[in-house]
Amino acid sequence: MLDFIRDPSIYNLVRGPFVWITFLVFIGMSIYKVRRLYLMAKNEKVVLPSINGVAARRSILHWVVPFGSRNWRMRWPITVTTFVFHIGLVFTPIFLLSHNILWYESWGISWWSLPEKTADIMTLLVIITCIVFFLRRIFAPEVRFVTSADDFLILGISFFPFLTGFLAYHDLLLPYKTMVILHMLFGEAMLIAIPFTRLAHMFYFFMTRAFMGSQAAGWGGKDW
Amino acid sequence: MAVKDKEKIVSREFPEYIRDPNPDVGLDESIKDLKPEQIEKTIMAVLGAQTARIRAVMETCIHCGLCSEACQWYLSSDKDPTFAPVAKMKMTAWEMLKRKGKVDAEFIKQAARIVFTECNICHRCSMYCPYGLDITFIIGLVRRICFVLGVVPQRMMDQDHSHATVLNQVWYTQNDWVDTMQWQEEEVGAEFKDLRIPIDKEGAEIIWYPLGGEPKTNTYHIERTAKIMMVAGVDWTVAGRDVWDTSNMPMFLRDFTTMNRVVRGLYDNAARLRVKKMALTE
Repeated sequence: MLDFIRDPSIYNLVRGPFVWITFLVFIGMSIYKVRRLYLMAKNEKVVLPSINGVAARRSILHWVVPFGSRNWRMRWPITVTTFVFHIGLVFTPIFLLSHNILWYESWGISWWSLPEKTADIMTLLVIITCIVFFLRRIFAPEVRFVTSADDFLILGISFFPFLTGFLAYHDLLLPYKTMVILHMLFGEAMLIAIPFTRLAHMFYFFMTRAFMGSQAAGWGGKDW
Repeated sequence: MAVKDKEKIVSREFPEYIRDPNPDVGLDESIKDLKPEQIEKTIMAVLGAQTARIRAVMETCIHCGLCSEACQWYLSSDKDPTFAPVAKMKMTAWEMLKRKGKVDAEFIKQAARIVFTECNICHRCSMYCPYGLDITFIIGLVRRICFVLGVVPQRMMDQDHSHATVLNQVWYTQNDWVDTMQWQEEEVGAEFKDLRIPIDKEGAEIIWYPLGGEPKTNTYHIERTAKIMMVAGVDWTVAGRDVWDTSNMPMFLRDFTTMNRVVRGLYDNAARLRVKKMALTE
């Protein structure tokens, strides 16, 4: 923040104030959205009383483990793609060495980080799986029929931070600093977009799964 | 004989939706009196409500199509994408909400066709959805919209009317029902001297509730049930008053008022006769 006041350049803008705004909006809105869905569920009378803790936990567990559910086993190419994509999407940014250094410089905190080579491969895998999802949206008939423009927007939101990060790391296409500014802008756009778009499935996943897992247990079945 | 292409139904909004014609008075005639403001008001009252089960589906579904393999309609129609559960939501509920309820009568007919004749509300799609979204619940709400607007396949609407009037699906009055029970008891008397079909026996162990079709068209089910109960030595009874039919057809239309009356009636009879268990035909 102080860097921006001393030297108001674009780099210091996206590196300083924008990061603060992003984290505030992302964390604040995410809490708001989860709380809102919870309060709506509370008003609905039948939702919360039907929640069965054991069934909810088992349902979530079976669906976050690769091949843990019947549908994951039936469609192994999609299962592999989606798990590679999501693991890369969530863990690469958190455990990337360069990000760790930024946190250390700003707030004096840091944690375990991925080897550079591993992180590079994970980023590349996220880019490739994004392209697979894109092609699937175009060529799989059942997906194409329900695809609209915002689906491509959501895909783009998660694709560009990784593409620009990869290009910046390898110093390709654009000068390093320009690419890093683009990378930070796209990354901030992604975090802000999460609570406002269907990327909110990041936390809604656990809530909807808990409900359906409990419902299925109530019918005497299982939903995995 | 194959149906010619020009005789097929093609949706205006979704050109991929092509079906053979399937005339039904309940859909074709009932849409003629619908007014746009009536449609809008109904849709917004049912789907526009800010409730968790609706918003969770609308704000989470990522359009991945993984629910399709769960649907028997999709699998048995050569994997036609318009039969996938998510496609059914897109063609009905999503489009209604996108246009804020401003759809015409023809659209309601198409929606009714999809939710009543191309979905069995079996809930399998929810078990295949990676998020466990309650797709069936949304389809059920679209059914409710169509029901409130009166756009329901004729046979289903008739069953619902029957339930609303006499609380069973076969237009049986209480006389018809009691008479059928006594007739069956008499009928089997020739074979089994001691066979009884106890009506309204207080304090019996089990109360048996048939489906509507049993006293109407499959009366042999009743005599067989009576024989089984006699041989097994069960202390049983049937209800002498409404409700005795467990086939809750109003549930499939999401006619909540009648649905509620049916279930309540079954429990009321059991409570009135102080039975220990309820046995239902299925």
